Amino acid sequence: MMRALVVTVAVAPAVLLGCRRVETPPSANVVLASAAKLPSEPSDAAWNAAPEYVAKLIPQDLVDPRLMTASTAELRVRALSDGSRAAFRLEWRDETPDDMSATARFADACAVQFPAAVEPTVPSPQMGEAGRPVAITYWSASWQAFVDGRGNSLQDIYPNAAIDHYPFEAASLKSGSAEQQAMAARYAPAHALGNDLAGPRKLPVQDLIAEGPGTLSPVASTDSDGRGSRTQDGWAVVIRRQLPAGFAEQLHTQIAFAVWEGSHEEVGARKMRTAWITLTNQEKP
Amino acid sequence: MARVYNWQIRRQMSYWYPENRPQKQFAAVFDINKCIACQTCTLACKTTWTSGKGQEYMLWNNVESKPYGFYPLMWDSKLLGMLGPQAWNKETFAGRTIFEAAPAGERVLGWRPAEFDYAYPNVGEDDCAGTVEHGVSLHGPHMLWFYYLARICNHCTYPACLASCPRASIYKRPEDGIVLLDQGRCRGYRECTKACPYKKVFFNPLTGTSEKCIACYPKIEQGIQPQCFVNCIGKIRLAGWISTPEKAREDNPIDYLVHVKKVALPLFPQFGLEPNVYYIPPVHAPAKFLQQMFGPGVQAAIDAYRSAAQDEKLAGLLGLFGSTERVVPRFAQEKDWVTAREEDGKEILRVPLREPIYIREAFDKKYQVVRTNCP
Repeated sequence: MMRALVVTVAVAPAVLLGCRRVETPPSANVVLASAAKLPSEPSDAAWNAAPEYVAKLIPQDLVDPRLMTASTAELRVRALSDGSRAAFRLEWRDETPDDMSATARFADACAVQFPAAVEPTVPSPQMGEAGRPVAITYWSASWQAFVDGRGNSLQDIYPNAAIDHYPFEAASLKSGSAEQQAMAARYAPAHALGNDLAGPRKLPVQDLIAEGPGTLSPVASTDSDGRGSRTQDGWAVVIRRQLPAGFAEQLHTQIAFAVWEGSHEEVGARKMRTAWITLTNQEKP
Repeated sequence: MARVYNWQIRRQMSYWYPENRPQKQFAAVFDINKCIACQTCTLACKTTWTSGKGQEYMLWNNVESKPYGFYPLMWDSKLLGMLGPQAWNKETFAGRTIFEAAPAGERVLGWRPAEFDYAYPNVGEDDCAGTVEHGVSLHGPHMLWFYYLARICNHCTYPACLASCPRASIYKRPEDGIVLLDQGRCRGYRECTKACPYKKVFFNPLTGTSEKCIACYPKIEQGIQPQCFVNCIGKIRLAGWISTPEKAREDNPIDYLVHVKKVALPLFPQFGLEPNVYYIPPVHAPAKFLQQMFGPGVQAAIDAYRSAAQDEKLAGLLGLFGSTERVVPRFAQEKDWVTAREEDGKEILRVPLREPIYIREAFDKKYQVVRTNCP
């Protein structure tokens, strides 16, 4: 009985792998399969229609500060398009879920990047270059946790923390009043400037633009959406966004990916990344 | 890396950006000998700037006891350990700064404190450097010692936080040299919290950005000293403007204390940041410990401070500490008075060189009562 169980366990991955190969042969580049409706959940069966591309990741070791030791080895990508928008499912192995950003804690994250416009030549895959921007959509496990209901208080980070008093929560100030909110904003200048890197957040993703390392800036309003969830051995993240301008005419462009491993203190320039990978539409039979 | 001149270590050094000194440089002198660690400065700052959510354990100003006080834990000794033994050749630093010692892939040699390193701001308070054994008596020099080190951001000429930020979210204002962190631009990478050797940039987990001392720039812009200065009941602090040594003015209080009398010294000049808060070192602590912290000028500074009683200009200037809310760009000592002055020479206030002494007789003849002396 024991032997039979061992055999079953050993064979199961091979069978599953075999099934996957039959469904979606590994792709030489990222291919957008057609879909009438773009799935929002990583577990949606619609993803099976898209071929899987395995992107090898390399450390960002060109610009200081660099990532000097490699972490996440590869990223499995599937892509779907309804003609104007695209959905990408990024899956990677990560045994340590890091969904919180605190003083010395970093959140797992991933991103997709395109040339901002489809042109005969592409900008540098390292965040673009001056006058030749790249468009990026970034997902963070910390933002996902906020969307999934985690609060943004000290007790959400340190459950046993006790706080005596915040001056903008004095009994003399009416809660939620303009005066009270203005006072609270004075102690949170990032919030006052609309720099919403922590909670509360409506979206776990953010659209950004860059023209070279160090120039990353959020666009005025994020049009993309997404959703990430834990799998048995890592993360599966869906990012849905507009295809770059001109893609419909050219039918191909380039795409790049990045993954940040929080437990490895990866943040900002310290990340695992790909070079440009060709992105095409699936040829119709 | 560019080559820049750092006068505190008397040599050229490597820095991420070229030398670009501000038109004026905010600077301060703290007289450690007068600090009683009452933490009024800490509270003045905290009440003004860091009472928000996510700032609970953030102290832009703190006062710690040396040698065993640290906020965050081990902030200085950890970096000193990473750098290893470093040498001065007389007044020239012969070792490596944190920019020159940066490992591959880094702009600065640094370390990021753990979260609990910020949880004990009063650790080591009043712990002296040794155990008080039975039979120990007080005599000088003290066998057992400690001193208080009040700390704010040093608004360095070569800030490590600024050098380390890959997004250039930290900038040094050209008009006053104050180092600010753009809360709209920061994306919370925390390279700065790792790079600043003084650990004076803090991450706010509830905004996702890092924050730091702003030298109360809205007050500085009005010619008024920052909150931690004007609330100091020990009157240990004086804010002003510092020149480079070759442009030092005798009538500039900061220049006079730092360049002319050399009684005030930078904190860990060997790190290479050219910090702009200067300390009058404590006269009672061992010179070796102080030399590691304030550089090779310690003994001369202590000697000059001890001779202040015979040096009317120096004594008069020390009397201006905590005497006015105004920033004091100029001063003059004439006979029995020292005057604080604006840059155009206009008098801000005058302080007597020596306070008049009144002796109250034990018996009050007018009321025919014996006065009680309260201890």
